[in-house]
This record gives sequence, C-alpha cells and structure tokens, in this order.
Amino acid sequence: MRMQLVRILSIIAVLMLGCDFAAAQSSRETIASVSPKVVKIFGAGGIKQLYAYSTGFLVSPEGHIVTVWSHVLDSDAVTVVLADGRKFEGKVVGAEPQLDLAVLKIPAEGLPHFQLADASTASPGARVLGFSNMFKVAAGDEQVSVLHGVIAAKTTLAARRGVFEAPYHGPIYVVDAITNNPGSGGGVLTTWDGRLLGMIGKELRNAQTNTWLNYVIPISELSQPVEEIIAGKFTARRAADSEQEIDAASLDRFRPGDFGIVMLPDVVARTPAFIERVTLGSPAAQAGLRPNDLVLFVGEELVQSVRMLREELGRLESGGQLRLVVRRGDQLVTVELPIPRKED
Amino acid sequence: MMRRVSLMIACLASAAVAVAQDQSLEFLEEQAIREAVALAEPSLVRIETVGGLDQAQNVLFGTGPTSGVVVSADGYIISSSFNFAAQPASILVTLPDERRFPAKQVAQDKQRMLTLLKIEADNLKPAVAAARDEIRVGAWAIALGRTFDLANPNVSLGIVSAVNRVWGKALQIDAKLSPVNYGGPVVDIEGRVMGISVPLSPQASGELAGVEWYDGGIGFAVPMEDVYAVLDRLKEGKDLLPGLMGITFKTGVLGSPDETVVDRVRFNSPAFKAGVKSGDRAVELEGKPVSRLAHLRHVLGRKYAGDAVKLVVERNNERQPLDILLVGELTPYESAFLGVLPLRQQLDPNAKGVPIRTVFAESAAAKAGLQPRDVILKANDQELTSARQLSDLVSRLRPGEKLNLTWLHESAELSGELMLGSYPDSVPAELPTESLPAAGEAAADGPKTGRFTETLPAQNRDFWAYVPEKFSPQASYGLVVWIHPGGDTMDATIYQSWKTLCDRRGLILLGPKAEKVGGWTPLEAEYVKDCVTWMKEKYPVDPQRILLHGYSSGGPFAGHLAFKYRDTFRGLALASQPLIGTLPENEPDLRQQFYLVCGDQDPLFAAAKATADGVRAAKYPVVFTPLPGEKHVYPPEDALDEIARWADCLDRI
Repeated sequence: MRMQLVRILSIIAVLMLGCDFAAAQSSRETIASVSPKVVKIFGAGGIKQLYAYSTGFLVSPEGHIVTVWSHVLDSDAVTVVLADGRKFEGKVVGAEPQLDLAVLKIPAEGLPHFQLADASTASPGARVLGFSNMFKVAAGDEQVSVLHGVIAAKTTLAARRGVFEAPYHGPIYVVDAITNNPGSGGGVLTTWDGRLLGMIGKELRNAQTNTWLNYVIPISELSQPVEEIIAGKFTARRAADSEQEIDAASLDRFRPGDFGIVMLPDVVARTPAFIERVTLGSPAAQAGLRPNDLVLFVGEELVQSVRMLREELGRLESGGQLRLVVRRGDQLVTVELPIPRKED
Repeated sequence: MMRRVSLMIACLASAAVAVAQDQSLEFLEEQAIREAVALAEPSLVRIETVGGLDQAQNVLFGTGPTSGVVVSADGYIISSSFNFAAQPASILVTLPDERRFPAKQVAQDKQRMLTLLKIEADNLKPAVAAARDEIRVGAWAIALGRTFDLANPNVSLGIVSAVNRVWGKALQIDAKLSPVNYGGPVVDIEGRVMGISVPLSPQASGELAGVEWYDGGIGFAVPMEDVYAVLDRLKEGKDLLPGLMGITFKTGVLGSPDETVVDRVRFNSPAFKAGVKSGDRAVELEGKPVSRLAHLRHVLGRKYAGDAVKLVVERNNERQPLDILLVGELTPYESAFLGVLPLRQQLDPNAKGVPIRTVFAESAAAKAGLQPRDVILKANDQELTSARQLSDLVSRLRPGEKLNLTWLHESAELSGELMLGSYPDSVPAELPTESLPAAGEAAADGPKTGRFTETLPAQNRDFWAYVPEKFSPQASYGLVVWIHPGGDTMDATIYQSWKTLCDRRGLILLGPKAEKVGGWTPLEAEYVKDCVTWMKEKYPVDPQRILLHGYSSGGPFAGHLAFKYRDTFRGLALASQPLIGTLPENEPDLRQQFYLVCGDQDPLFAAAKATADGVRAAKYPVVFTPLPGEKHVYPPEDALDEIARWADCLDRI
C-alpha cells in the first residue's frame, strides 16, 4: 500500500513537473532562458560621440551572432563577450546594410542559441521584454540589461526621404519602452512568454514628430539573409541597386506641368499645395481639377506642401493612372489622371 | 484501482496545465489590456494637417499624423491644441473605418489646451468617460493614438501617477506621451476614457509648454468628465479662457503665512468690483479653505472666464464673503483725459468749482467749447470744490467714457456731455504762464531765495537749490529734482539753463549731490527723499508737481527714485537716456507721467525711443522728443523750455 502511495506521489510529481514545461513560460523563465543567448560586442569607436559597443544574439551552436551593421564592426578586432564571461574574437562573415544587418562568427561550440525558424509575431498591446547591453552597463560575466514594455505599433519605417536617416525601410515594431539606446543595437525583443520577435535597431530620430523612435526589425525580415550568410550563399544587394533606390527618391520624372497643373508659388517651406490654374484641354482639366483645389493625397501619400507634391510626382512611373485627392471647399474630391509615357 | 488513480492523476494534470496556461497573471493582464483598447478604439480618429508654420519659440513643428477623440455622434472631435500650434491651412480627420473628412476648428479651451473640431459625419461613437473621482493612483493607464497604423491603434502602457496635477487640471500618468499620441484617449483597464493626453506644464502655459517632457515618464491627461462638462460651451464656437481675478499677492513672502495677503487689486478688475481691498487675507475660495497660495491656484486652475467664484477674505478680524465674476483679460489701467489745466491760485478761497487756466487743443474740453477763465462747477453730478477732486474723478474713468460737465462761462451756466480722450503725447508749443502773486517783503527770517547750498542736519550731507527771487509764500511751486550724471554735478550749467525757466514757470530747483564723484548708488535714495521732504517743509511745494530730471548716467538713478517713491514723484524727465528698470503697473492712486528727450544722432536714441514706446504701451502718459542732428548732449535752450512747459502742466486733467 505504501509503495503504491509512493508510486502515485512520484507520478504526480513528474506530471506536475511536466506541467511546468507544457504551460506558458513566465517572464522570469523567459529571462532565464534568453539571457545566455545574448552577447556583448566591443569594437571600433569611442571617439566623437560614436560609442564602441553593441549587442548581438546567438543563432547557431557554433557561434553565429546576429547584430546591427554599424561602425562598431569597422575594426579588425571585434571582441564578443558571452553571458558567462568568456571572450572571443568575432569576425564579420556577412552583412546586408540595407537591412542594418550583420552576422559575426566566433570560434566556439555547444552554445545556447535561438532558432530563427521558431520566431513569432505580435500585435500592439503585447507585453514584451528587450535584452541589450545598453550603455555597456554589463561587463564580463554579467548578463545584459532587461527592459519591459508593450508593442506600441506595427508599421513600416517611412520611405520618404528625410523622415528617417536609415537605409532600412521595411516593416518594424515600434516598442513602448526605451529600447534603443547607445549600445542596444543588435539586442533582442521577445514576448513575455519567450517567443522571439526581432532585433533591436539603432538610435533613430523621427523627423515627422521630432521624437526618438524605439523600433525593432522583425525576424521575418532577417531570417532568410541570415540563413544564406551562414550557409555561405549570400550576396549582398548590389551597390548599384541601392544607388538606384537613392536616385529614385530625388528623381524628377514628372512635374505638375506635365499634367496641365500650375501650382501656387512655393514661398515658405510649408506652402500648401494649392492649384493656381489648370491648362485648358490638359489631362487635369479633363479630370475636373479646378483653381484653388488643395492637393492632399498623391496615391496614398499625404502631401503637406508644394515641395512634397513635386517629390511625389517626381517618383511616378510611366504609364498607369495617377490618383489625386483634393480638397474643394469643404469637400474631398478624388480624381484620376493618366500618367503620360515618358522616355527615361 | 491503479487505473482509476492514474486516470484521476491524468485529469488533474491536464486541468493543472489548462489552469497554468490560461490563468497566469501576465497572460490575463495582457488580455485585459487588449480588450480595453478594443472597447475604446472606435472613438479614436487620426488627424492630419497640411501647411502651417515651420517652427515657433525654438520648437520645430512635426508634420506627422496626430490623434483625436469623438465626443459627439454628430461629428465633434476633441484633440490637443498642440496638434494645431502650427496653424495649419487644412485639417483632415480619418475615421477607424477609413472614411476621410475635412475638419473645421470650432473653439479652443485655452486653459486645458484642447481644440474642438467638427466634421460632416453622423452616427459616430462618442467616448465613454470614466468617473473622475473613481480614478486611483496606481491604476493602469493605456494611452492610445492612431498615428502609425490606421487599422491598429498604437499603445503606450503605464499607470496613473497622480490626480489633480497642474493646478487641478490634469491626471498625471507615466505612459510615454509624445506627438504620437497627443490628443488621443488615456483609457483605464475597463476600456473607459479617463482623459485626453496633452502636453502641459505647471510652470508655463501655451500650446508648446510641456512638450520637452515627452516620453519622459511624466505625461498629463485632461479628465474626460471635465471635457464633457464644457463641451456645450465649446460647441457654441467661443474660446474658453482661464479666469482671472486681478489680485496681486505680496512677493517675497512665499512660504510665510502672509503669502495669502492681498497686495494690490487692479483697478476695475473683477476683484476690484467685488470689493477686495489691499491688506485683505484670503481664507476661503469656493468653499475650500485657503492657507497657502497654492490652494488658491488649485481652485482657480479649473475656472474659466465668465465663471463666478465665492471668495472669503479676512478684514479686521472679520470674514467678508465676496462674489467675483472672473474675466479672460485684465486690461491695464489708463486714465481718461479731459483737456484742462486748472488755475492754481484760488483768489477767493470760498469759491466753488475749478477755474480753468488753459484748454488743450483737440481735447474733449476743447470740443465741448470750454475756454480759459471758465469755471467747472459740476462733474457727473458731483459739486466740485477743488481741482484735486476733479482730477481724482476723471482719473477713474477710461478714455472713451462719457462725462457730464456743468461750467460757468462769463456768468452763464453751460452743460454738456463730453466723451473723454487719452493723454496727448506732446506738449503744447505755447503755454501761457500763470502769474504768481506779488512777492511781499522778504521777511528777515523767512526762507532763503535765489541760489544757495544747504546741509541736511541728520545726514550731514549737502545739496544746492534755487528758489525764484520773486518768491511768494502764497503761491505753490513745482519742484524739479535734478539728478546729475556721474562725475559732474553740472550745477553751473543747470543753474544757467533753468534760472529763467524757474522764475517764469514757478519752479524750485533742487540739486542733491552724490556722495562719490563716480556716481549715484541706489542706497542714496533715502537721502534724496530727505532733501525733498526738507524742501516741502520750508517752501510751498505743490505735491502734484514734484518731478525728477536726469541726464545721461544720472538717468537710471532718477528712474529708480521715480519707481521707489511713486507717491512722491509725479513726473520723470529723462534727457539722453532710455528708461531702465521694470515699469510698475499704472494705477489711479499713483499716477505718473514721463518725458524723454534724446538727440537723434545719439547712440542711445533707438533705446530711448523703444523705452518710450514701452511706457506708452503700459498706458502711462509719455512724451518723446527727438532732437534733430544732436548727439549725446544736454538739451539746448528751446528743448529745455519744452521740459519746463511739460512740468508746468503736470497737474493737467
């Protein structure tokens, strides 16, 4: 009878232990399992406000580390310090500057690491934890700093020139926590129950709101390039491609005159995009545009000034339709004009 | 038996797993937050603006989208005034269902920095307000905006840090507030809107105050209940302004029990009309006991112009309840001007009325037809016995107000209703002097005349003076107190220049001397006052016509004296020097007039002119005379003659 009782109790105990593994992780458990996978990186910098440290996280047992592409890696001697204090020399094995991404390798094995394929997504309001060596507070065998907060929003880093001084223009999580500090770039964001979400980005200022942005690049954007880099099959996007992209932003392909629109003179920085007059018989006239219409949207983009209108028109592709939303008195009117064919 | 036990254990285990998964506090809180957002978000709109200023007050205006909250199903939306500080040309509102509308600004609440917009839309979902007195410090506070993504509101999570901040106007929360959510709702864990997030600062006001604290862990939200309380007034289209009383409290006693004692009550302000007096101690406002200035500000912080408040003051150990109707703007005091210079000699001491010596051109009196030698008998139904009485009466009226006058013209009694004007900013080119009574025999022990030096007994300090030789004790004399520049008392020059003027205009000249050759120090103010007192005791000095005259580096000390002893000095005449120092508030009991003269080639000319404009803007009577072609010199004879004429009509009404 007693043996049976002992057996029953031990079965219960085992099952209870099993329960712990089956239930959602608590944030305490998340911190315990994530911290060993995050590393501290020290490299180039230390002069003129450029800090010489950043963060990274392990994605393979042999020591591949994902981090931000930054000036810190501009050194022959990049030192990586693990959570247990072990130091290694890190080598950059691949980078994709368009994604602010770099992959390092340290000579090690059997290291705790993230499985990028297991990464997850989250929506606004989800509670998150951020791990990074902000302000290089952690040294030696100290674990990196942990922050908590929620996902504020999921959006794209605006493509318009001048809003963000960053090469990356893809989807991001905006975080309601001050995650982006000196040295935080390359850190990791997870949900409170341990699901990997993304890599913490660099310090960035939003020119539209004049505030600092705390953002994280989702793993979904990074996993394929990282895999290719690790497999040795990666080719960075050609410099020529990126140059073309930059050129596109300052292109002058089309002008208001091409559609028969004459704008009010651009006197101050934010002169609203009022139409002064419309050329007789032009596509604008045929579409029904009138003097004093205020052009508000070119496609989906809000144009807040004549200057912005010119930029948007400059970026149009030949052929297809141009959709404008104008304000006429108290009404919003949508018109469509054909975009003329032009030779590049 | 074992099978049953194993089954039971298996059930227990899976139940435990289920419990562990669904009931962990972190998970439940996350769910609750998501649900609260979902309940509030149908009332959250996106606002975009087009055009406007680039920057103001060293703050660059952002151009990104901002947020607003629906407060009325027929299309009224409330947002933070910060979002419109750039004065945009066009405002667009996008609803959660993606419909876009142009919006009009209806009105602003300038006390809580909110703006009400209107769009032509119907069946919108107004926000549900949380009861203000149920909001507790430590409760979840979720700040929402619709700036990044139209479909999903952006979320910032924090707690309520304090209630009744910024003088009772706002809740304080630690969620990150910034332009990404200004104007949006701050929601409690049940999805009700506690407040609208706005930048605010207890130390400053204006649309941009408090923005420097963005994302700093300190943010403010105007309670939604308060917004709904004033919504009907805002819908009428009139801006709501902070309510003002018009009381100044003693400065320099902050922290002491005297900080609630009234120092000055602005003339014609709501407090003045209610009967608040200098020296009253405020003890209760709107039923709340007041023992610190902060208590007063807390009650007033939520009151608007047009609100009536009950103030209780303690006067002579008695409680006086007073009803005050708050206003939005306190207008500075400005005295009306009738346009007459009264005769100073009363030939018949029993005669009634105010005899006129001169009527100023284009004044109210001139337009009514008053003439020299007329006698004003009644003003606004008051029988006049002295010029002082008429002066006090007129000084309590404002330019543009009506005055009923009855006057005697060559034995005929005339009446009229005059519209009063303002003090002219020039001196008449000609001013006939008033003939002084004949000088009698100079008594042997009578007061000295001519130029002399005197020593003040108490302080053992000298001054010089000039009394017109044909001095008559029956006349009343103006007193010109000459403040010399540093390094040069200029007695000889002044005596030469002013002797004839004093004789002609009945002025006594007083020349105190600085102790140190280098110049005056503010500590010598008492000495100068003592000189004036000595003069007043020995000679018939007219208290209405004591003025200070300073040149160059003597100017600042003259200004210091004028503001320190406002009840003594009626006028300040500065030559080649701008007015330095803070101008005190003009009031009917301490009326002062100013005169500035400066060469237009003098490097100080622009500054002197600017200070004259400043004095004019503060509604004091001021005359500014440029001297063409002159540099930094003491004014020549004809310019001095103008100063003397100005001194001669300091008691004009």
